[in-house]
Formats: sequence, C-alpha cells, structure tokens
Amino acid sequence: MAVSLGFHIIFASIGMAMPFLMALSHYRWIRTGKTVYLDLTKAWSRGVAIFFATGAVSGTALSFELGLLWPRFMEHAGPIIGMPFSWEGTAFFLEAIAIGLFLYGWKRLSPWVHWSVGLAVGVTGVLSGIFVVCANSWMNNPAGFEWFDGNALHIDPVRAMFNPGWKTQTLHMTLAAFEATGFAVGGIHALLLLRRPGSALHREAFKIALLIGSLAALLQPLSGDRLAKGTAIRQPVKLAAMEAHFHTERGASLLIGGIPDVAGKRVRYGIRIPYALSFLARGDLHAEVKGMEEFPESDWPPVLVVHAAFQVMVGAGSALAALALAFLFFSARMPRLLLHRRFLIAAALATPLGFVALEAGWTVTEVGRQPWIIYGIMRTRDALTPMPGLVYPFLVFTTVYVFLAAVVAWLMVRHIRAADKEFPSASASAPDRPGGLHA
Amino acid sequence: MPEIPAGGSAMLWVVILFLGLSLLLYCLLAGADFGAGILEIFMGRDHRRTQREIIDRALGPVWEANHMWLILMVVILFMGFPLVYSKVSTYLHLPLTAMLMGIIARGCSFTFRHYDAVKGRSQRLYTLFFIYSSVWTPFWLGVVTGALVPGGVGLSRAGYLEGYVWPWLRPFPLALGAFTVSLFAFLAAVYLIGESREKIIRERFARRAYLSSAAAMVSGGLVFWAAQKDGVDLAARFMGSPASLACVAGATLIMPLIWLGLAREWGWASRVLAGAQVTLILAAWFAVQFPTLVKMADGHDLTFFNAHAPEATLDQLGIALLAGSALVLPSLFFLFSVFKSEGAGSGEQ
Ligand code: HDD
Ligand code: HEM
Ligand code: HEM
Repeated sequence: MAVSLGFHIIFASIGMAMPFLMALSHYRWIRTGKTVYLDLTKAWSRGVAIFFATGAVSGTALSFELGLLWPRFMEHAGPIIGMPFSWEGTAFFLEAIAIGLFLYGWKRLSPWVHWSVGLAVGVTGVLSGIFVVCANSWMNNPAGFEWFDGNALHIDPVRAMFNPGWKTQTLHMTLAAFEATGFAVGGIHALLLLRRPGSALHREAFKIALLIGSLAALLQPLSGDRLAKGTAIRQPVKLAAMEAHFHTERGASLLIGGIPDVAGKRVRYGIRIPYALSFLARGDLHAEVKGMEEFPESDWPPVLVVHAAFQVMVGAGSALAALALAFLFFSARMPRLLLHRRFLIAAALATPLGFVALEAGWTVTEVGRQPWIIYGIMRTRDALTPMPGLVYPFLVFTTVYVFLAAVVAWLMVRHIRAADKEFPSASASAPDRPGGLHA
Repeated sequence: MPEIPAGGSAMLWVVILFLGLSLLLYCLLAGADFGAGILEIFMGRDHRRTQREIIDRALGPVWEANHMWLILMVVILFMGFPLVYSKVSTYLHLPLTAMLMGIIARGCSFTFRHYDAVKGRSQRLYTLFFIYSSVWTPFWLGVVTGALVPGGVGLSRAGYLEGYVWPWLRPFPLALGAFTVSLFAFLAAVYLIGESREKIIRERFARRAYLSSAAAMVSGGLVFWAAQKDGVDLAARFMGSPASLACVAGATLIMPLIWLGLAREWGWASRVLAGAQVTLILAAWFAVQFPTLVKMADGHDLTFFNAHAPEATLDQLGIALLAGSALVLPSLFFLFSVFKSEGAGSGEQ
C-alpha cells in the first residue's frame, strides 16, 4: 500500500502541476506567436500524456487496493469519509475528459478553447488532489461521527470532510506538488542547457518551471509551519516524534539532526536551537511542548523514522527555498546569472529534492500516525485484511510498480532525446521566429 | 427472494440508479475499448497497420474517460455500500488483483505505444501487452461478477482455499468471464465498422462482428450450463421474473436485426442495436439479482436495502452524483461530439 501510494503520489503531483506549466507556455505561444513556446507546449504535453495514463491506472489500482488491504478500515471509513472520494471521482472524470480534448484537440478546437481545456486539466487535477488529501487529513483528525463500541454513529460526512486539518494539509500538499514538479522539470532542462547552451526551448522551459517551483518553495515553509502548529495541538505525540522530543518542557529547543535513542529517551548528537520549538509549535517562546513521555509507549510511532523523515523534508525544503530566492532575485535583477553555469549546476542537482521532500513528508504524516490508522480511533492492525499470505500480493504490486517506474523513466529519456531532434528550437541557438497561429 | 422494503429513501434509489448506470456505461464504452484490443489479436497480416491506426484513433481521445465509470462504481460501493465493498475485496482478493494487473498493463501499454517517442522494436512489446491484457482484464471482471452469485462468499469453512479460492474458481464465474470477453469483442467490432472509410476494412470488422457474436452466443450457452453445474438454475430464474424474461426475449430478437444491419451497413443503427442488446442482457441480469448484491455463504446476503450506508451519507453521495453528472455529462457530450461526429479524422498533431 505504502509502495503504491508512494508511486501514485509522484504521478499525481506531476498531474496536478504539469498542466499549469504547459498552460503558461501555451499562453505565451498564443500571445507572442513564438514557435519556441509551441514546441515546448507540445513537448510537455506528451510527457503529461504518459504521466497521466500511468497516474490514472495506478489510481484505479489504489481505489481497489484500499479495500484489498484494509477492508475493516474501509467498511467504517466509507460512509464517513466517502464524500471527498465521490467528489474526487467527479474531478477525475472531468480531468480525463479535458485531457482527451487537449491532447487530440490541436486542430479541432479554437486556440483559446484549446488553451482553456488544458488549464481545466490542471484545475481538476488540483481539485482531485485536494479532495483525496481531505480524506487523509480525516485519518489524522477524525471528525464528523461518534465512535461507540466499535461502531460509528451520528455520521456527518460534511464535517468529516472539512475536518480541522483539511485546510492546512491540502494547502501544503498542493504547494508540494508545484514545488516538486517545478524543480524536477526545471532541473532536467538545466541539465540539458548545460549540454546545449543557447537552446531556446530549454531556456524557456527552465524559466517557466523554476518560476512556478520557486513561488511554491517560498510559500511552503509558511504552510508547513501552520501545519505543524495544528499537529502540535491535535496530534502531540506525532509532533514529539518528529522532533524526537522525549521530555515535556517549557521553552523547548528545536532539534536539528541527531540520532534518537528510544530506549534511553534521549538524543545523541544534533544541534539545539533554544526556545525555537516552543515558538514554532505554539507561537510563544516559553510555551510548554509535550514530550513522548506523556504518552504510553504503546501509542508511540517509530521515533527514528519519523524524526529522520522530518529532517529530510525540512532540509530539502530549506535548500529549495534558498534556490528559489536566488532564482527570483536573479530574474528580477541580474537575468544573465540565471544561465550561469554554476546556477544551472545547482538547479540540476536539485532535480530530485522536491520529490524527496514530498515522500519524506508523507512518511512523517503516515508513519507518525502509527499505531493508528484513524488517529485515536482504530489501530492499523485491526484494519488489516484477514486474508493469509499477504506477502505475495504485496510482492506482486511492488514488482509491478518498480517495473513501471523504470519504464516511465526510460520513456522520458527517449522522449527528451527525440524532442531535442524534432524541435529546431531545442537544439541550437535558433532565433525566436515569430510563427503565427497556424505556423 | 429478499424483501424489498416499501418506501426507502429517495436518495437510495438515486444511488442504485447511478450504480446500475455506471456498470452499464462501463460495459458499453470501456467494454468496447477492451474489445478493440481483443480484435487486434485476430487481425490478419494485411491491413494490420490501417486497422491498428483506426483503433488508436478511435480510442485515443476517449479511453481515459470511458474507464472512469469503473472508478465511479467503486466509489459508490465504497461510500454507499461499504459492507459490500469490504466483503467483496476481502474474499475476491485474488481475482480482483488479477484484474488490476490487467488494468495497469493495458492502460500503460496503450499509452506507451502511442507516446513512445521512438517507434522501434518496443512497439511489438507494447502491442503484446495491450492485446493480451485486453482479454485478461474483462475475463477477470466477469469472474468477479460471477463469483457473487452461486455458492456465495464468506468464511463458512475456515481455510485458504475454501475462503479465497473456491468461491471464484468454479464453472459459473469462469464461463461468465469467457462470455464477457466475447461480448466486448462483439461490441468493439460493431462500433469500429463506422470508424473506417475504406470498404475492405469495414468488411473485416463486420466479419469479426459475426464471429464474435457467434462466440458470445456459444459462451452464453456455456454460462447457463455452468450455472447448472454450480447448482444455480439460471434458466428458471430468468423465466421467473417477467422483467428479465422480457429483456432476454428482447436481446434475442435484436440479434437477427443486428446481422441484417451488418450486412446492409447501417452504421449508427447497428451501433445502437448492439448497445441495446448489451443493455438488455445487463438489465435481465439486474432483474434476477435485484436486490441482492452479494450472496454470502452464511445465508445473510447483502442487499441494496440491508447493506447501505446511513441516511446522511447517502444524501451526500446522491448530491455528489447528481451535481457531478450535471458537470460531467455535458463535458462528456462535448468530448464525444468533437471526436465522434461523422467523418471524424484525427485532430492530433
Ligand atoms: C489518503 C490516504 C493516504 C495517503 C495519501 C498516504 N497514505 Fe500511507 N497509509 C494510508 C493512507 C494513505 C493508510 C491506508 O490508511 C495507512 C495504512 C495504515 C495507516 O495508518 O494508514 C497508511 C500507512 C502508511 C504507512 C505505515 C506502514 C504500515 O503500517 O503499513 C507508511 C510507511 C505509509 N503509509 C507511507 C505512505 C507514503 C510514503 C505515502 C505517500 C507518498 C502515503 N503513505 C500516503
Ligand atoms: C488513497 C489514496 C488515493 C486514491 C484511492 C486515489 C485514486 C485515484 C484514482 C482512481 C485516479 C485515477 C483517475 C484519473 O484517471 O484521473 C487517481 C488519479 C489521480 N490522483 Fe489519486 N488517489 C489517491 C491518492 C492521491 C493523492 C494523495 C493525491 C494527491 C495529492 C492524488 C491525486 C491524484 C491526481 C492529481 C490524479 C490524476 C491523475 C494525473 O493527473 O496524473 N491521489 N487517483
Ligand atoms: C521547510 C519547511 C517544511 C515544514 C516546516 C513542513 C512541515 C510539515 C509537517 C509538520 C508535516 C506533517 C503534517 C501532519 O501530519 O500533521 C508535513 C507533511 C508533509 N510535507 Fe512538509 N514541511 C516542509 C516542507 C515540505 C516540502 C518542501 C515538501 C515537498 C515538496 C513537503 C511535503 C510534505 C508532504 C507531501 C507532507 C505530507 C502530506 C500532508 O500532510 O499534507 N513539505 N510537512
């Protein structure tokens, strides 16, 4: 399950953000008539098609897998939290329609209608992401029902969907999708620019992708901070695990790095920033932050994993935010530095960082919630399917996803190589010929 | 026969209607997509390219949307009939997993075939995956559906085989799988005739349509025979309800008309007739099943009326379905009108 989700979420994030990058380039083409933007839109749209199809089939598999693995969870959660899923279904449907129209509609739709369907792919993609994260947020912040003797009573699907965590979590996830996709795409084009300086296609692609990634990267720490404040109130044990914070303190210090020693309830190595944790979690330097010791050990998540994942996410997020600042500053003040070798190398090195942060973030959320599947209500082990021999389907799904990921990566390499040959604007320093709409 | 309680909330009926509708549209639209893949297996060497291009062009813009109906079904079951969703996915874990593998293989290979930037040897591999998963997936869909009927699922006797294998590894589900495959191939053949301009290709598809309709009739007979073997008197059940009897009669009577239509090249009329036939078959099925959703080995069958979610949930689900279809149906109509109007060629660049 975690493997499928970990896989799906990459495709889903690209499906959410990539249409916006495409729409931006498409918009510039219609406005300026420069063929480089047309080439770029087409090159990107083929990538989108591959990712969309893979995202769609992995999503279809997920909607079954949830039941295959966690039938008891789904049985109870369905009536409570089915609502965002049913809206998600609608959004997917619209997205699938829009993508069919976009990919095959070049000659059949007028330019602006065509552009709007492209944008609609992105909007419906983001909506579906928001809906499904509402469901996940409910697992972290159960609301909209009363739990009585192993049964849910007085179900209120609306309150369950708009549970206390939905705003912060969906915002954070949406930003993560834009950030991860923006930097991944920008990084690949930076690499190609290093090989072929002067390529107009890669230059424009690099700028568009990094612009979107950078805006998200600067907002992300703010949204992460809001999220953490909610976690401190509603899931204090998760927050404590993220920080490897064993003992309740006032004026708690923020820990960076370090190796938690769970048995000894302390942390080796690591840097402490005094008062920072209290401030981050509560907005007050002297506030009390609960430590793991407040909770029975049977309710502890695996501290080491959660703490490490959190460090990875924040570390990668900070690195990207620094890159984003540089990008925005250069764009505004010294555009020539944008294409400087060193900056391109930095951007190329950052290619995987956004997705690393995204996967680490999900690890924090998901592992940090353990041993609960619905926080405080149902334990993960009680939700598992009774079918014996689960390791086999697990192996099958894992193999399939690993194989698929490899195929898609291979296809992307072929796709980039072919686009390099096909579009004149990609290869050399082709001048930006104005091409008109029907060039 | 389980009782149908009087009254029942209006939203429950909306939800049931949408469940039936999504199943129907999945069979009519996605079924034809699968069928196109099945037909590729039987394509002769000559004209193979043209026929494949026709299939690519016909499916390309719409296949994603066509497959959404399955997701809609899953969502409705999950939210509206959670117990059904959880029981089915527990006890039919294996055939469902098999079906999922097919869905993954098929969707990916179709897209990769089209979008792989290098059209080289890998194309043959994609095609291989595409055509065989087009048979594999509907086969398992039929098996899963069939397993809901005869002996029932559930752990009456402990044990892996009794619980997780025998409920579906028996004549009836397997025969239903074979029937589903041939029915989908038949649908595709009839739909595809209208997609080609060349006479010789149209004749090819027409021949496939005859053959697959014959295959559907043979495997349909097989379904009745297998049901008998599994202790379900399907024939008697079909005769038992006037609604299903009418549907079966209708489906049978349409057959000669379809043949006539194929011979005379009726175009759209043939498509409508073939669609109507599949609709009638499903309706007959629905009429004998209703209101049972899953037969349980312990006798406590799950029905529309005893396994539904609480009122508040059904209301939200009904609202989502109604509002969602107000958005989806016009867009879907637009999609089909852009790509499926008479004489539509490819608009892709
Ligand atoms: C909307 C739901 C959802 C989403 C978006 C995610 N997960 Fe999850 N995850 C679940 C829904 C879920 C779950 C099915 O509900 C589990 C099963 C047990 C649990 O507590 O939640 C779960 C558990 C779970 C566990 C605990 C291990 C276990 O008991 O099996 C891990 C390590 C992950 N997930 C990892 C991930 C990763 C890497 C994700 C994304 C990249 C992710 N989850 C997204
Ligand atoms: C429990 C977890 C999930 C389930 C059951 C699920 C289900 C699905 C399904 C059925 C599809 C296919 C529909 C289509 O073709 O568009 C899909 C695609 C998609 N999912 Fe998920 N999903 C899950 C997790 C997520 C998460 C966490 C996100 C993102 C934040 C997400 C975002 C998307 C998006 C954007 C698509 C569209 C495909 C694309 O554009 O590539 N999903 N998902
Ligand atoms: C730099 C500052 C960041 C902070 C302070 C931060 C904070 C957090 C916190 C506290 C959580 C756990 C939320 C919970 O379960 O209650 C979380 C989850 C997550 N983070 Fe971050 N994060 C940051 C950066 C990033 C970046 C850069 C990305 C990806 C590009 C990212 C992606 C995610 C994802 C995908 C999740 C899980 C999904 C979710 O809960 O919405 N985060 N983050």
